[in-house]
Amino acid sequence: MKANFFANMKISRKLVAVFLVTSLVAMGVNIFIYLNLNQALAKIDSVFSSNISLNELSDNLNQLHSGLTGYLETKGTDNLELYYASSQKMNDMMRQLNDDVTDNNVKLSERDIRNMLSTYLKTADEAIQAKRGRNIDEYTEKYNECSKIKDYLNTYIYSVNNEQFRTNSENYMALTKSLRYTEVMSLLIFAVSSVMNVLLIIILTSSITRPLTLLSAKADEISQESPENVEPLEVYSEDEVGKVTRAFNEMLTSIKDYIARIRTQLITQSEMKEKNLLMETHLKDAQLKYLQSQINPHFLFNTLNAGAQLAMMEGADRTVEYIRNMADFFRYNVKKNSDTVRLGEELELVDSYIYIMNVRFAGEILFEKDIDESLLDVIVPSMIIQPLVENSVKYGIKDLEPGEGKVTLVVYREGNCCCIRVSDNGIGTDEEIIAKIMNHEKKPSETGGVGITNVMTRLDLFYNNKEVFEMKSHKNEGTHITIKIPLEDGNV
Amino acid sequence: MKISKDRIAVSVLAGVVLVLFFATIAGLFYYRSMIRSLDEVQEEAYAEYTRLYAYIAEDPESKISNRIYKEISEYAQENGCYVEMTGQNLSTTYSKADRIDIAISSKVDGIILEGDNSEETADLVRKASSKGIPVVTVLSDCVSSPRKSYIGLNNYSLGKEYGIALGHIAQEKKVDSLSVLILTDNDEGNYDDVIRTGIQEYAVGRSIELESSVVDTSTPFTSQEDVMTILDNMEQIPDVIICLNERTSESAYQCIVDKNLVGKTTVLGYYDSDTILKAIDKGSVYATFSIQSRYVAEQCVNALNGYIETGFVSEYLSSDYILINKENLTTYIAGGDKNEG
Repeated sequence: MKANFFANMKISRKLVAVFLVTSLVAMGVNIFIYLNLNQALAKIDSVFSSNISLNELSDNLNQLHSGLTGYLETKGTDNLELYYASSQKMNDMMRQLNDDVTDNNVKLSERDIRNMLSTYLKTADEAIQAKRGRNIDEYTEKYNECSKIKDYLNTYIYSVNNEQFRTNSENYMALTKSLRYTEVMSLLIFAVSSVMNVLLIIILTSSITRPLTLLSAKADEISQESPENVEPLEVYSEDEVGKVTRAFNEMLTSIKDYIARIRTQLITQSEMKEKNLLMETHLKDAQLKYLQSQINPHFLFNTLNAGAQLAMMEGADRTVEYIRNMADFFRYNVKKNSDTVRLGEELELVDSYIYIMNVRFAGEILFEKDIDESLLDVIVPSMIIQPLVENSVKYGIKDLEPGEGKVTLVVYREGNCCCIRVSDNGIGTDEEIIAKIMNHEKKPSETGGVGITNVMTRLDLFYNNKEVFEMKSHKNEGTHITIKIPLEDGNV
Repeated sequence: MKISKDRIAVSVLAGVVLVLFFATIAGLFYYRSMIRSLDEVQEEAYAEYTRLYAYIAEDPESKISNRIYKEISEYAQENGCYVEMTGQNLSTTYSKADRIDIAISSKVDGIILEGDNSEETADLVRKASSKGIPVVTVLSDCVSSPRKSYIGLNNYSLGKEYGIALGHIAQEKKVDSLSVLILTDNDEGNYDDVIRTGIQEYAVGRSIELESSVVDTSTPFTSQEDVMTILDNMEQIPDVIICLNERTSESAYQCIVDKNLVGKTTVLGYYDSDTILKAIDKGSVYATFSIQSRYVAEQCVNALNGYIETGFVSEYLSSDYILINKENLTTYIAGGDKNEG
């Protein structure tokens, strides 16, 4: 949790935290050692304090005695003041001396000194009182006693001082020796904590810089090889580097997507180009063939119209009808420059063709049609039904007896498709030929017609290889060709 | 793979940091304990007691005084009191009077004094009493003083004991008469005279010829020289030399060894120092008298405690001498060791 908290901090805060933590550790260790060392030094300082106090005590005793002596000699107020001041100070100093009975020589001597001082002060006070009462014998006696006690005291203080100095010196030696150990110890602690701090800085700063290093390595990798083969980086933190890493990963994904999209686009574009070229080729081929067969269509229409008018004037109605159908048939072929036409127009062309063929073959072809009128506006590629009907007339019912051949055209709706079926009751088509036609292996008919192959190829191209063309046949059961035009928004 | 290596490295470093962290903390604790132990260097352990008594010896260097002080000190500590040998461990050597005065000035709870008959000592005992400090005397009394009790050695009967010992020597030597030299010391107020009287009384009616000389024991070095001089000046070496203190006893023994008088004369000594005991073992010293120091010590402390607690104590508490001769030497040493042990 804490690690995550640290990982999610801003880099600037992380750096501050790192230096703060290490500085605090170093400072803490320093303060700890400093305070303890101070304590130790204070102890060393206090080692000889007892000697100092004893010396002060001795000095004060001498002052006290000289004040007493001076007063007893001259009764001077200065001496009395000195005596009282020293006496007051002595009382304060006495309180610091041990008062208990112990088996420690120094302590016991302190007690003796304290009590002797007390006796001295009492005797000195009595001497001063006697002086005031001008009782010479008494104050002389008291003074002598004081002098004796002072002598004892000085001896005791000197002896205790010596004893304490010896003990204190031993303590001092022991302390300084111990202090040397503590110095070594403190140096050791400093060294250990410094190493710890350095390692801590290495760990924490590496945790900050490691993602950057990885990012830079990944950037190198991308620059040297294809971005598609580069794996995204793992995001360890939510700091600035984490955000940059995340953005880097998104960028990498975008680049990969972009490359994939461009690749697909290129493929699609090349496919489209190829398809368009093929469409164009086939259309041109079909048109060329018709143009070749219609030497001068306009001239032909005009002549056919003139023929029709002549026939009308002569009252030959059937001739008029025939010539008009012929004119319509050829006009359709000439005018349909566009790729797509309405289904109704295609059906009219078939009607014209059948009429012409029936005139030509004296009504031998039976033509039946069943049309769903709602589908007449469906947009289909031009010239797709007439070639199929022509194929049935030319090959399907060719060898049948006159009046037996029958061609059926049915337009109906099946699901979401507009189905156009052309059937005949002729001899049928060999399966080999069907297979060749379906595999685009059969060459277009050399008879001058557009041909099934052409129709099929164009349908494939137009409907993107959706299988809209179906051809079935059995021996002596005729041929059935079905075109299934998908009913989509664009072609209705 | 690289990441996992990094992680291992980081984990190892973190482990090292953790170890160093604990090492630092442990170091700081150890450092703290080191600093604290500096206090222990300074402070010496000591016990506290309710009362303080002063022991004033005739001669602070004397072995017998030191032994009694040791016994008194031990017994007092067992009873919640502490006894200091006043004047000891000081840079100056003080006289007995000064030591008593120091004890009075330092307001001790009681004084155990090796008494004497001097007026100065009696005055000081009086001074102590006036300040409410009870004084008991030991080994020798201070008759004219208001001391509360005397823990007593009966010096007259000691003299008698010396006499009896002389009788034993005469019997052993199978002689009818004995010439005896009594070496006393020149300390004022000791009871050598009383002892000598006891010996003399025993000698009455017996063919024991007594002679006495004073040995200067005022300084540690004069005793031996003086004994040698006395012996040199004598026309005839006495059959027995009676010594009434410890230093004289050792000096006399040393003299008869030096003068090759072993066998010709013998010593009746005082106190049971190692030297004298060895001399008894060798036969150079016939016998020595010693006091029951532990018993004396107990009586001293009990007398002071009793007086402080009840205000009353017997004026005289007797204690006996022990005669140590070749016969009971081994038993005595064994008993002493046991006691010390």
